[in-house]
Amino acid sequence: MVRADFLTGIALILVGLYVILESWRMPRMEHLGAHPLSVPGIVPAFLAGVLIVAGAVLAIRSVRAGGHRLGLSREKLREVLAKPGNRRLVIALVLTIGYAGFLIGRIPYEVATGLFIFAFIVVFEWKRGCATTRYVRIVVAAAILAVVTTAIVGVAFERLFLVTLP
Amino acid sequence: MTAVLLDNLGQFSSAIGGFLTPAALFHMAWSTLLGIVIGALPGLTATMGVALVTTLTYKLEADLAILILMCVYVGAIYGGSRTAILINIPGTPANAATTLDGFPLAKQGLAGRAMGVATSGSVLGSVIGMFFLATLAPLLGNYALKFQSFEFFWLAIFGIVISGHLTALEDPIKGWIAGFIGLMTAMVGQEGIHAYERFTYGTTELMGGFALIPAMVGAFGFAEVLTVMRDPAAEMADNPQDSVVPKWEDVAKYWRTIVRSGLIGTIIGIIPGVGEDIGAWVSYAAARRKSKERDKFGKGSIEGLMAAETGNNAVVPGAIIPVLTLAIPGSAPAAVLLAAMFIHGVRPGPMIMVESPHFVYQVVAMVFFATLAMGLFGILLTKPLLTVLAIPRTKLMPVVFVLCAIGSYAITSRLFDIWVMIGFGLLGFVLREMRYPMAPLVLGIILGDLLDKNLRRGLVLSDGDLTPFFTRPICLVLWLITLTSILLTIEPVRNGMQHVWQRVRTRRR
Repeated sequence: MVRADFLTGIALILVGLYVILESWRMPRMEHLGAHPLSVPGIVPAFLAGVLIVAGAVLAIRSVRAGGHRLGLSREKLREVLAKPGNRRLVIALVLTIGYAGFLIGRIPYEVATGLFIFAFIVVFEWKRGCATTRYVRIVVAAAILAVVTTAIVGVAFERLFLVTLP
Repeated sequence: MTAVLLDNLGQFSSAIGGFLTPAALFHMAWSTLLGIVIGALPGLTATMGVALVTTLTYKLEADLAILILMCVYVGAIYGGSRTAILINIPGTPANAATTLDGFPLAKQGLAGRAMGVATSGSVLGSVIGMFFLATLAPLLGNYALKFQSFEFFWLAIFGIVISGHLTALEDPIKGWIAGFIGLMTAMVGQEGIHAYERFTYGTTELMGGFALIPAMVGAFGFAEVLTVMRDPAAEMADNPQDSVVPKWEDVAKYWRTIVRSGLIGTIIGIIPGVGEDIGAWVSYAAARRKSKERDKFGKGSIEGLMAAETGNNAVVPGAIIPVLTLAIPGSAPAAVLLAAMFIHGVRPGPMIMVESPHFVYQVVAMVFFATLAMGLFGILLTKPLLTVLAIPRTKLMPVVFVLCAIGSYAITSRLFDIWVMIGFGLLGFVLREMRYPMAPLVLGIILGDLLDKNLRRGLVLSDGDLTPFFTRPICLVLWLITLTSILLTIEPVRNGMQHVWQRVRTRRR
């Protein structure tokens, strides 16, 4: 956690500095006769100031606890990725972002959603060394849930809530 | 005084009458049931439920839509107790304190009785909170009319600091950082005084800032999907063998605890951005301190369970009080509710008692019906409802994620909002992993505009003079509490204060 805190602290300071710079560049509205304290940049700059102070506190605190020694190595990264929980997380990220960020809007909603649900269930329920009947059950259940969910969500949004789905 | 009370009662009864239609009763029934199921399923929280249902109901009339959301909210906070009792996993964060005594009771074969206690506690907590919603909201609404820019500025800062502190007691700075990230997020888009577009970089989609509902669906829905898939699978629950009907003697014996927890829950609810989980913990701690059976706490105490479940449900109406009167949410689900009110053209805030006082009583009536439905379903349908706990996460989570994605898209039909959902989901997940609380972040997103406009307006009004920000009576109270809250987290200051306090006490003796 101290390493994460160190990095967060640095990130907050950098973001804060960037926001202050951007706020400084914002128009002062002098040509409109606006009051100098009503300018758009004043509040973001104030908030950025607070974030810089908080980031500095976080960074200093974690440096004291040795958080600046990141000790990043390929082996450590491989170790982290090898944990089953993290592997599931990466798969979930790929499937969800792939579906919502890239499939929706590019291919019809029904195809994208059906594919996503089917793939999600099969990928997470598939285990090596199971009996063939179990594999068949997983695939059939995934297909049924994919079709039913796609149909229900589609009908609910398009017919009941009158939303044209992508 | 009597005339005012009678008038309040009259408005409340007419609001009740307004909801006695087949359509309203039907919506009440399904939404409360859905709320209970959402609450009971680990990984689906009240905030996520209210946010997702907002996307499903935004085409309905305002009063029906808000009624549905209220029922989901009340139902979910209650529903979470089922899982807490049966499998020691809080269905929603609000039920974390419930596990302490609920699960030991279940292990002793008293799961049904524990559920009965949770039902009675939740119903009574809601009723106590509802009483204060009906009586305090109009008073606070009238009082809030005195607020000017200076007060609103401090209210925003006070909300962020107190919420940040109480939701991250171990490390308050993380709560404050979350809150200020939220405020900063709200700076994106056209600002309210000169209509200048901040941080939009020419994208038209960002002109209106980040839409709140997709952001909440991301932070509470997508982030939760990721957490559930990462964590080991939860155990399946067995249905309780004994009766789930609440027992009168449990209520009669612990009535003091119920009233105390109801009061604590309501107060915690009123404090901006401090939600049901804190309400339950504080009620639990207070009950333990005052209890004659202190040694039973943590080992299956009926009193402890009653305190936790009364406390968390009392927060719900409590959290609605600042939503209605100040447009400041008392909890994360209340923040979604506030956003939903804006979507439906309801304008909560100090003017509500002037512009639409009937709406306040309508909301009280909604809480009343939601509580009634929750109690009824809790007694009649607990056992059949528990079958949903058998649905494995691998089948539930993809469906939830489809709703997150399509729901975010549905409100304004923009693909951009799906990216907002993904972005906030990732941000929420990473922040939560690093133990940053989500409630102050959400509060910050909502309060950003209020802070922005009022700080600048205040500065213009006083011509740059900071004195009114510190000397006006309400400002004085707000900044003193804010400052004390910050100072108390600094160890040398805390030690110094304790030292001074001890010296004062010894001198008095």
